[in-house]
Formats: sequence, structure tokens, C-alpha cells
Amino acid sequence: MDINEAQLISRCQQGDQEALKEIFNQYHQKLYRIAYGVVRHREEALDIVQEVFIKLFRSIHQFKGKSRFYTYLYRMTMNTAIDHTRKMKKVPPLSMDEEEGFQLSDDADKRPDRILDHKELEAKVKWSMDQLSPDQKAVLIFREVEGLSYQEIAEATGCSIGTVMSRLHYGRKKVQELLKDYVERGK
Amino acid sequence: MKKECSSISELLDKYFDQEVTPEERSLVEDHLPSCPACRSALLSMGNLRNLIKSPVEEAVERENFPWVWEKIERGIQQEDKPGLWESLWSWLDMISLRKKKILIPAVAAVVILILITAPLLYEKMSSSPVLSVVEYVESDTYNVMIYEREAPQVTVIWLFEGPEEEPLTS
Repeated sequence: MDINEAQLISRCQQGDQEALKEIFNQYHQKLYRIAYGVVRHREEALDIVQEVFIKLFRSIHQFKGKSRFYTYLYRMTMNTAIDHTRKMKKVPPLSMDEEEGFQLSDDADKRPDRILDHKELEAKVKWSMDQLSPDQKAVLIFREVEGLSYQEIAEATGCSIGTVMSRLHYGRKKVQELLKDYVERGK
Repeated sequence: MKKECSSISELLDKYFDQEVTPEERSLVEDHLPSCPACRSALLSMGNLRNLIKSPVEEAVERENFPWVWEKIERGIQQEDKPGLWESLWSWLDMISLRKKKILIPAVAAVVILILITAPLLYEKMSSSPVLSVVEYVESDTYNVMIYEREAPQVTVIWLFEGPEEEPLTS
């Protein structure tokens, strides 16, 4: 942890909202990436980011610097996102039209058939990720989306590097099997 | 898949994630040119990463975050206004008491106080005389009233001779 970050954390621990804003500016995209990776839905991912920063402001006094600050934040985000998906399982799913998880930016991609293809693919990816255990899902997202090293993932999930490798291997294998057509098509 | 694939396949995830040692890297890279199965496995990992990651990156690019910060600020301000239960809880400040390890001695002190005072209170309560009228007899000459109390066993007899007379007790 560099001095600036330590000072920011210390200020935040004293209730300084400006310090929290600086932490937000540094980390919001990374946390959004993790949250989106789990829920694959824009509004839900934004709600999770919001919840994480409010939680952080309330609980940052508990951060003693034993782990790196970003792994502490990543863990908090992952736990919040996984709790969120558990709650959402109890709510009936949205219809295809209401889901806005995947939007297309390129005009060529806005053709109805392409939109349907993308939506189908995204729905299939989300479904296959949801078949993983929360632990496997966490490890897979930390690695594939955020590009964390095994050591960083171990720190963020509180387990050994061996466990990280095992979860990653079996998680990949399972999702590859479920998305076989798409994985093969990309070759 | 070749025979040596079983040992190399254990390294494929690490190789793909760039977590191998230089020796492990050489092992994998020596093996790959002659093994289509392992090359295919590596390609699958790359495709899977792309399937998982690309939509996330596109979603991040599309997003406008400043309004999220405004929502966070509003959320913190709302939480700053405590409800009735939270006010009561913070007044009791049970958590900080627990943290300061004051709660256990405090509870112990209260228990000891109760243990000491309860017998005294009980004794005092039971020692207060409870009199009850057992009998009241009226006649032309005397009116008699008999009281009794349980412990210690005392009987009080009031003998009314006239309006000016004091009662006699025994």
C-alpha cells in the first residue's frame, strides 16, 4: 500500500467523505467489472457498486491493513454481488425485453438478428456461470474479468493458491462444457 | 491426446494464466507443437475468457459513473439519520461496551447485587406483621376482636368496654 492510499484510508476511517470519493474514483470501474461479471445486468451491477461504497464507508474502521486494500475491496464486492444473486434467485426473472444486460454500440451490430444472437449468447453465458458454485464463480471472475494473479485471488477469497487453481480448473471445465458450441465456434 | 499430455495438461491452466516457472514454460512449449489436443485446449480457454470478459468490458465503456457517486452520497446521508431502534441501540451502546469488555463485569456486578439484596428484601418483607381478624364478638357488656399473625405466632385480643377504654392485649 502506498503512502497516499494509506492516508486516504486513514481519512476515510475518520469519516471524511472526500477521501471516500477519491477511493471511488480509483476503484469504481474495477468494482463495476467484478459486479457486472457476477450479475451480468447493468442496473444490478450499479446497485452493487453503490452498496459496496456505502458499506465501505461504514466498515472501513475494521480494515487493519493485514491484506492489500484492493483485495479487501474486491472481496467485499464479490460477497455483495453473490449475496445479491442469492436474493435475486427468489425473485422471478425478467423477460428478454426487460433485460438490458448486453447492449450493442456498433451500428452494424444493431441488426435485429445480431441483437438476438448477442442476447442469446449473453443469456447463455450468464446461465452457465450461474451453474458454478459461488466459490468457483468468484475465482473465475477474478481471473478472467479482472486478471488477478493466483496470489491475489487467494488473498481476496481467503484460501490457498492450490484451492484457487483447483476451483479455476474445474470452473473453466464446467463452463466450457456448457458453452461447448460457442467455445468451439470461436476456434 | 498423447501420453505425456496428462502431465502437461496439469500445467495448461498455469501456462494460460502466465503463472508457470521458466522450467514449466519450456516443458509446455516443447510439447505444444506436436500436440493438437493441448493446442485446442488452450484455444478453448482463450475463447472462454473472451466470452466472459468482452461483454463486461463493453458494459464498462458504456457506463457513466458520476451519478453513481451522487447516489452513494445520498445513501450515506440517509444512513446518517438513525431510526428509533438505532437511536436506542446507540444509546445503550452495547457493541462498544462489549468491545471494551465492560459488559461482562457489569453483568456480574448486577448479578452479585441481586444475590446480596434479594435475601435481605425477602427477610424484610416477611418480617412485616400481617394481622388478620380471626373473630369479632359483640355482647351487651364487652365487644371482643381477636387478631392473629403467622410468624412469630402472636394473638391480639381487643376488648372494648366503652368508647373511652383502651383495648387490652395479650
